[in-house]
Amino acid sequence: MDYFWVPFLPMLGIIIPLLTNKLNRSACALTTALLPAVALCLIFLDLPAILAGESFHKSFEWIPQLGLSLSFRLDGLAALFSILILGIGLLVILYARYYLSAKDNMGRFYCYLIMFMTAMLGIVMSNNMLQLWFYWELTSISSFLLIGFWSYNSDARKGARMALTITGAGGLALLAGIILLAQVVGSYELDVVLNSGELVRQSPYYLAILGLFLIGAFTKSAQFPFHFWLPHAMAAPTPVSAYLHSATMVKAGIFLLARFYPVLAGTETWFVVVSLTGLFTMLLGAYTALFKHDLKGLLAYSTISHLGLIVLLLGLNTELAAIAAIFHIMNHAVFKASLFMAAGIIDHESGSRDMRKINGLWKYMPVTATLAMVASAAMAGVPLLNGFLSKEMFFTETLAQSILGSMSWLVPVLATIAAAFSVAYSLRFIHDVFFNGEPKGLPKTPHEPPRYMRVPVEILVAICLLVGIFPNYTIGPLLENASLAVFNHPLPEYSISIWHGFNLPLLMSGMATLGGVGIYLNRKHLFKFAGMFPDIDAKFIFEGCIQACVRWAQKVTNGLENGSLQRYAFCLCFFALLLIAPPLFELETTRGSLPGTPLNGAVIIAAVLIIAGSLATIIWSHYRLIALLMLSLVGLVVSITFAYFSAPDLALTQLSVEIVTVILLLLALYFFPQHTPTSKSRPSRFVRDLAVASLIGCIIGSISFALMTHPLDSISAFFLANSKTGGGGTNVVNVILVDFRGFDTFGEITVLGIAALGIHKLIARMRLSTHNKDDDGRRWAKEKYPVLLSVVSQSLLPLFLLISVYIFMRGHNLPGGGFIAGLITSIALIQQYLANGVGWMVKRVSINYHYMIAIGLITAGLTGLGSWLFGRPFLTSWFEYVSLPWIGKFELASALLFDIGVYFTVIGATLLILASLGKLTTTERLTVGER
Amino acid sequence: MSLFEHLVIFPILIPFFVAVVLLFPHLSNCLSKQRVISITAHVALVVVAFVLLFKVEGQGIQVYALGDWSAPFGIVLVADMFSVLMVCLSAVLGLAITLYATAGEDKTGAFFHPLIMFQLMGINGAFLTGDAFNLFVFFEVLLIASYALMIHGGGKQRTQANIHYVFLNLIGSSLFLFALGTLYGTLGTLNFADMADRIPLLSSNELLIAKAGALLLLAVFGLKAGMLPLHFWLPKAYSTTSTPVAALFAIMTKVGIYSIWRVHGVMFGDQAGGLANIALPWLWPIALLTIVVGAIAILASQNLRVLCSNLVIVSVGTLLVAISVNTVQATSAGIYYLIHSTIACAAMFLLTGLIQQQRGQAEDRFVAARAMPQAGILGFIFVLLAIALIGMPPLSGFVGKALILQSVTEASQAIWVFPIVLGGGLIALIALSRAGTSLFWRTSGENKGALKGHPSQYLAIGLLVAILPLLVIFGGTVNDYTQLAAEQLKSGLSLQQLNEVAK
Amino acid sequence: MELVYAICVGFMSACGIFLMLRGHTFTLVIGLTLLSYAVNLFLFASGGLTIGAPAVLNSSENYADPLPQALVLTAIVIGFAMTAFAVILAMRGRADLGSDHVDGTEAFDPLSEEKS
Repeated sequence: MDYFWVPFLPMLGIIIPLLTNKLNRSACALTTALLPAVALCLIFLDLPAILAGESFHKSFEWIPQLGLSLSFRLDGLAALFSILILGIGLLVILYARYYLSAKDNMGRFYCYLIMFMTAMLGIVMSNNMLQLWFYWELTSISSFLLIGFWSYNSDARKGARMALTITGAGGLALLAGIILLAQVVGSYELDVVLNSGELVRQSPYYLAILGLFLIGAFTKSAQFPFHFWLPHAMAAPTPVSAYLHSATMVKAGIFLLARFYPVLAGTETWFVVVSLTGLFTMLLGAYTALFKHDLKGLLAYSTISHLGLIVLLLGLNTELAAIAAIFHIMNHAVFKASLFMAAGIIDHESGSRDMRKINGLWKYMPVTATLAMVASAAMAGVPLLNGFLSKEMFFTETLAQSILGSMSWLVPVLATIAAAFSVAYSLRFIHDVFFNGEPKGLPKTPHEPPRYMRVPVEILVAICLLVGIFPNYTIGPLLENASLAVFNHPLPEYSISIWHGFNLPLLMSGMATLGGVGIYLNRKHLFKFAGMFPDIDAKFIFEGCIQACVRWAQKVTNGLENGSLQRYAFCLCFFALLLIAPPLFELETTRGSLPGTPLNGAVIIAAVLIIAGSLATIIWSHYRLIALLMLSLVGLVVSITFAYFSAPDLALTQLSVEIVTVILLLLALYFFPQHTPTSKSRPSRFVRDLAVASLIGCIIGSISFALMTHPLDSISAFFLANSKTGGGGTNVVNVILVDFRGFDTFGEITVLGIAALGIHKLIARMRLSTHNKDDDGRRWAKEKYPVLLSVVSQSLLPLFLLISVYIFMRGHNLPGGGFIAGLITSIALIQQYLANGVGWMVKRVSINYHYMIAIGLITAGLTGLGSWLFGRPFLTSWFEYVSLPWIGKFELASALLFDIGVYFTVIGATLLILASLGKLTTTERLTVGER
Repeated sequence: MSLFEHLVIFPILIPFFVAVVLLFPHLSNCLSKQRVISITAHVALVVVAFVLLFKVEGQGIQVYALGDWSAPFGIVLVADMFSVLMVCLSAVLGLAITLYATAGEDKTGAFFHPLIMFQLMGINGAFLTGDAFNLFVFFEVLLIASYALMIHGGGKQRTQANIHYVFLNLIGSSLFLFALGTLYGTLGTLNFADMADRIPLLSSNELLIAKAGALLLLAVFGLKAGMLPLHFWLPKAYSTTSTPVAALFAIMTKVGIYSIWRVHGVMFGDQAGGLANIALPWLWPIALLTIVVGAIAILASQNLRVLCSNLVIVSVGTLLVAISVNTVQATSAGIYYLIHSTIACAAMFLLTGLIQQQRGQAEDRFVAARAMPQAGILGFIFVLLAIALIGMPPLSGFVGKALILQSVTEASQAIWVFPIVLGGGLIALIALSRAGTSLFWRTSGENKGALKGHPSQYLAIGLLVAILPLLVIFGGTVNDYTQLAAEQLKSGLSLQQLNEVAK
Repeated sequence: MELVYAICVGFMSACGIFLMLRGHTFTLVIGLTLLSYAVNLFLFASGGLTIGAPAVLNSSENYADPLPQALVLTAIVIGFAMTAFAVILAMRGRADLGSDHVDGTEAFDPLSEEKS
């Protein structure tokens, strides 16, 4: 097992706590700690080699098209961070076991925690930018879950959302940056990217890339102006704050800056932007921290301030500064984690975090107090503690830089001021909490925590001391290699030691300490001064902004989707108009080369009828019956037109469909008000619709004209040629329908069948009451069905059926066919319904029409399948001329069978529609339960 | 011709025959039998679809000449990688939603299973056909089936939404016929490959007329796809209809996208001479606007179903971007994203169904309510789906998004696409985190009375959710397929090649 | 003649679309029917107009283009199915929403209250 397993062991570990949750708490904690511990050992096994300056790489293809590969590296930087992550992680696991109360779901907590650990390890060990981003986002998600762990409390929910939103946004920016960077460099592999710094800095995209990366880093590391989410993340359980929001996650952004230092750093922009952001954040954090009464609030802002310090160092563009930055990353992680844990203990054992209540705890918890004091001394940068060393280096570097040109002297001054504030708030932490009189109104009397809850703090504080006293034996080598990994070239001379002799940095620390004490002594005035400013809660502002956006979005959306079909339909038509109009404006003339056929009276009459009819339909559209009559007139003329232009099949079909449709509409009209209420739609809309409609009409007309006058070499010749020989029929249209393009017909009858089913669905649930008088108040006639009509229609029925059979049989060779025949039959049957009433029919005809549809469809389908027996594709037709005695020679064609399918489907569908509608009109409502 | 050679038409015939058989006596009255048959059929469909996938991978494009009439005279089915991938997608989706429905939703109205089958027949037909008019026929099949399915279960809102949906689509169908008439009148043929071949031969006048027809098709497909400004019907329709139907509709918009890709991306694509890429100038702004408007609507959503519907719109916009970039790489990325988004959205719709039934009065509105009995497992699934839909790792969303962003290489395009796509992601993140916190965390007491989710419902959701990580873990393989699909699609298919393949 | 034919087609489609843009379901259905007439005529004419030459073999020497006719036949049938569904849906709408306005928002009409 080698280092390659380091990121995977915790990944496997994610489920373990969920499994061992049932066991007792210690068992759960132990099993959870197991795999990370192993991972830590693996790192230590490789440590010697790394300290010898080696670095390991391993990579496997994952999604090559994306440039994403499973690829890890373990160099000094990665090792350093991994040790922080795993080490502090283990301590946090131990700590949390005592911190969490019985009612918290421990398994879930550990699960999230390990998930985060995995993600964090992934970031620091990634050797592929996309993979890095992959883990980067995972940290955001797991931190969201951890902050919201106590989901019943509203602050936790809001804090979690805020953190996710800010870091998520940063993550998206980072993704964009990574993709751009990869497009410049041509690879996502860090080995390649880190060695092409020049190329990147020269490229035109450099600024964009830098900006996006910085947004990613600053959001994660809580730099101004994105710092505000961190204090609100403190709603999380304290172990989380100790782990994510001081030691590790907030360092991810800084890690990013360090990792891409060779690529992005070294330019003026980087210099100015990064260092100034860091400087400002440092000051802001240090100042605000002093005035926080909440223990964790104070620590949160001090974290922000220290992160700012590190960023400033990275921004200074000197390698020594970068080394100092890395050094401070470790130191800060160690002492801040221990401080958070101490704060957690105090909170846990005294029941409050408010420094105005908790005072004089020294008496109650001396050990914890001592530990906390040492840690905060480290934070203040007191000699013999690790904080001091990195702070010294920091001061040295601030003196070396020249960001602000002639005003550069400001930087060390401001640095000293910030340091003074950090001394002040450290003092406050110590003095307010452990001395300064007696506790005021605490929920419970404070006492020392359980033995093992303190162990993590002890370990961390011990490290503070060790590093502080023997830097070169403890951390020196690792730091050196980490720095090597950052620059990937030899380091300049530098020395970490407690005593550099009397020099400016030392003086600065001295001044800072004195200043800090001074500030703390006069805190009363300062608090009064700070009190004059309204304290602004980022949470309310943030939530407020989101709310405002939501309200605005709702206004916009409701404005667009106002629920009016008329608007939607208009959009559709207008959009279509926009699409088809331009090409026609380019067209010089629509008239094609073909000579027009001469005009004659009949055509003119037809045209007049059509135009008048459609016009009347519009004009009288309010009088529905009249509109319907006009419509059917138009339909009639249309079918005549078909007949005139040599399309007998169309004419027949159109005619029969016309009849059925009109019957249908008439039946329907019975359920509608006779008149459309005069529409309330504004005249403007009326004009608007009229304009669009007529424009589309004009365009359709012109296109139609153009099509008719242009010569067309179409595939039709083939059909005419092969209809008889290949399809066995002389009526080409019918042969096309049942043979050449039989699949269309197949789909078409399916549509018919589905429509019938849908209509059945609609009607079965319909509880529609009808009116019993017409609009002028006359009651509908109540007479039984007129005898004459019923007699006539009954006697006509056989005739109709005969005709339909005839039409059907001739279909293949002469105009006709299954569809028309089917419609004729159904018309005949409907006539029976009309003449004799539903009751009468139901008694006699006991056909379930949707079975009929099924039979029709299956016949058509099986006919199609039949051709498989002959090894031909679906719907291949077959025909043969057989001659029988007496009857003579006649044709048998599979197409005929197919047509029978059509025939039955049509009858079934039409009658299912009309009969079930008809039933509505009668006393016996449709009661077919929707089975 | 062995049965194996008829494979191409199976995805159309299986649903057809099963649907018809389910209408016969003894079956139409017995729901339990219907369920057994229909689920078996769905499994069969999935198997067939994947066999077809491997066949196409192995032997290249498959052509099936119906009635043994060769193109362009007869109708041919063309199964290339793209269409087959879509068929697989619809098959998996069909299985999942039928599983979900067997928990009881199929009781609430007649003919549920037959209609689902007809719906799938229509969808698969639209994917497989190589003939313009036949495409129209199958569009009508899937539309009429969707009309009938949308009112399944009844209720005021459904009828209301259905009226809008139906009448808009009826206008759409009429426009479709106008367009087909125009194209036939200029090109004189209906077979896609043949049409593509004939476009360069057109005279300048005919060219312009054909252009009008082609652009009219864009409006027709755009209406189905739910692209701006034709998307208005979508949120209401998807958010009111019954859960399984809404989930199935997740693929309906994709049918429109698919057709735009085939017709405007290829037939009127780079090789179309005088009509090359006529749709692009329209598609670019529309794609970006669709994302923007969809994202705004996401932020405005008051309940989870509407939010999902708007997520569908955003995904449509993102796909249109992929179409507009118009490179093999972008197409491949788009196809990957299409698969991901369809599955994720469908799963989210199904999950919403469970949430509704467990939250009682509060349904899926973002308000404080009593906790769900199964909040744990539902919350877990919600987080997974949210991550996928936002486009965050570790689920397939981020792969799709990253692929599409990568494929945008020109600065002039990137300057628009990056901010809008990523911004859309951020808004989804904000909206979904708000949704999740209020649905699962803002609770008081527990909703004891609520009926727990049925195993088959969880099976259905699990089936879909399980695919998302697989799309990442085997991302390389999946991308090989989408790559192949993109190459086949972009290289186009001339009539000659078509008929050679057919032999 | 082509000109007259084209004018008719254009006029009918204009009327149909205009009616489709109105607010009451029954009007929409009528508009739909009108529009589908126009569509059928348009599709029919896309192959050019021929008089007295039905595409029935050995009935005359030259034949009308049969393909558009077949397409129109399919279109008519599908149109019929769609119209039928639309009508019933309109009724259902009136039953459920208590009004035959497409948005169901219009003033509640008394008829749907009244019991027959």
